[in-house]
Amino acid sequence: MTTTSETKALVAGMTTKPFKEKKRWTVGEIVTMAVITVLVLIVATPVLYALVNSFRSYAEITTDPMGLPTTFNFDNYVQLFQQTDFGEAVLNTLIITVVTVVLLVLLVPMAAYGIERVGGRAGRFLYLLFIAGLMIPFQVRMIPLVEAFNEVGLYSTLTSVILVHLGGAASFGVLLYSSFIRGIPMDVEEAADVDGAGRLRTFWQIVFPMLLPATSAFVITQALGLWNDFFIPLVFLDSSSAGTINVAINRMVGLLTSQWQLIYTGAILAIIPSVAIFAGFQRFFVKGLAVGAVKG
Amino acid sequence: MSASLSAPARTRRRSRQIRIRWTMFGFVVPALIVYLAMVIVPSLQSIQLSFTNWDGIADDYDYVGFANYTDMLTSGRFWNAVKNTLLLGIGSAIIINAISLGMALLLDRLVHLQGLFRTAVYLPALVSAFIVATIWKYLLNYNFGFVNTFLRDVGVPDAARDWLGDSDIVVWVILFIVCFTLGGNTTLIYLANLQSVPQELLEAARIDGAGKIQVFLNVTWPMIAGGVTINVTLALIAGWTIFDQVMVLTSGGPGFVSETMAFFIYKVGFGEYRAGFGSAAAVVLFLVVLISSAATNGYMRKREIQA
Repeated sequence: MTTTSETKALVAGMTTKPFKEKKRWTVGEIVTMAVITVLVLIVATPVLYALVNSFRSYAEITTDPMGLPTTFNFDNYVQLFQQTDFGEAVLNTLIITVVTVVLLVLLVPMAAYGIERVGGRAGRFLYLLFIAGLMIPFQVRMIPLVEAFNEVGLYSTLTSVILVHLGGAASFGVLLYSSFIRGIPMDVEEAADVDGAGRLRTFWQIVFPMLLPATSAFVITQALGLWNDFFIPLVFLDSSSAGTINVAINRMVGLLTSQWQLIYTGAILAIIPSVAIFAGFQRFFVKGLAVGAVKG
Repeated sequence: MSASLSAPARTRRRSRQIRIRWTMFGFVVPALIVYLAMVIVPSLQSIQLSFTNWDGIADDYDYVGFANYTDMLTSGRFWNAVKNTLLLGIGSAIIINAISLGMALLLDRLVHLQGLFRTAVYLPALVSAFIVATIWKYLLNYNFGFVNTFLRDVGVPDAARDWLGDSDIVVWVILFIVCFTLGGNTTLIYLANLQSVPQELLEAARIDGAGKIQVFLNVTWPMIAGGVTINVTLALIAGWTIFDQVMVLTSGGPGFVSETMAFFIYKVGFGEYRAGFGSAAAVVLFLVVLISSAATNGYMRKREIQA
């Protein structure tokens, strides 16, 4: 490890950039790190404040807003699940996120691949049709969708939320996959002389694995977006449903006016899975985003 | 295939090509159906509904021509929402892009532990706008909130105020909260762009005697113009549809002072049973997004070529 990198550094140093390979710590760099750290802490203050106060009682929070927890226990966390249907909301959010992501991965890469292979004017038209959705805010389609789901009896079901998300995410998905598919050679698929169902199998066995970098970027951005969404479930889930985490917290703000500690607790619980998703897929995420961004 | 068979072989290959294209179209169909049903059809229905007096509940409605549009254009409440949307949209796009570019430049300076610091900078962006706004709602509480308590503790009790209840400042408070970020994706896109600027170019400029600022303005900035275009366009689209913060922090209040277009559509369409009127506002919002995206892209692309 050390020897190879040293050799590389040596070779590089002899040829082009002798200054860059010596990775010395400089005062400037340490100052930069300190500045970044301070900025991160400032921006994280509200969340850290919520975290601290999720371990305090309402009386403690209001009599001494700047105080620290006197005891360290998870009473608020237990209470949140006992007093409200927060558990059901967590489950709803999980179902919406997982089912939507799975359906997106089943539908979108195949569609983008199809669009690129149809090609010509028809392919171009399909591509632009999907991309147009990027410029249609959710508010524009929201009123007719509520009416339509009411008519078919799906209003205030998780199905309605999932379907609305699917439509919204298709545009970004097609954009992402199409630009990726254009960048990789497709001779493999061309050579396989198959038709119909055979082509479907070829797609999933040969093409889909080649799209993995795009898929990982797509999955993580969508999973985070779905988990964090507030507006769509707010519109499509009424009080007959426990709602999603964010919708449930929003209701609590109105109902539990003297239980700030539970709001803070809910907020912290909503954040934990986002951090977990990010931690799990970070590697793919940064790479995928960077590739897409520089290309675009 | 031998040469003598070329004519029928060509026909066969043509028909095979056509068959493949139809199979490929079949790949698109499932996603296309969902997309048409969930995005395109309802959007067109919105245009249709914008010419009606539908209340959102009744089975029937009448066509009222452009009445919703003329009502809207003469409504002070609507123009106030437009004004707030412009302020929040353009303001947040500029401020967030400036913050993000600054953060990316800081990260780009790091030789050690860049990955660690990049993650740290990204972490705050994992918290949803809704959660951040909800926490801020309590931080800004007049009596027991963090902000006013802090101001009283450091000896400036006069600075403490009703941040979300004061008509003069409430929109600026919302702008502050929207911009209280390190940029997240925007920062990562800038960082990726900065790192794709060839070192040789920067080096050459330095050797030619350019100072740090000159290098940035004449080499780096033109080289990352593509990233600027993407980020500004995305930030504007997000800005035009700001909803969560308004819904959580003020519900559009006091009165209608802090309504944005997205909130106005929601409130009018569902809260006030004026679905036709709300649809007209939605159509206007779509036009705003369309025009601003086309304009930013057109302007920025032109600049990229010059640079």
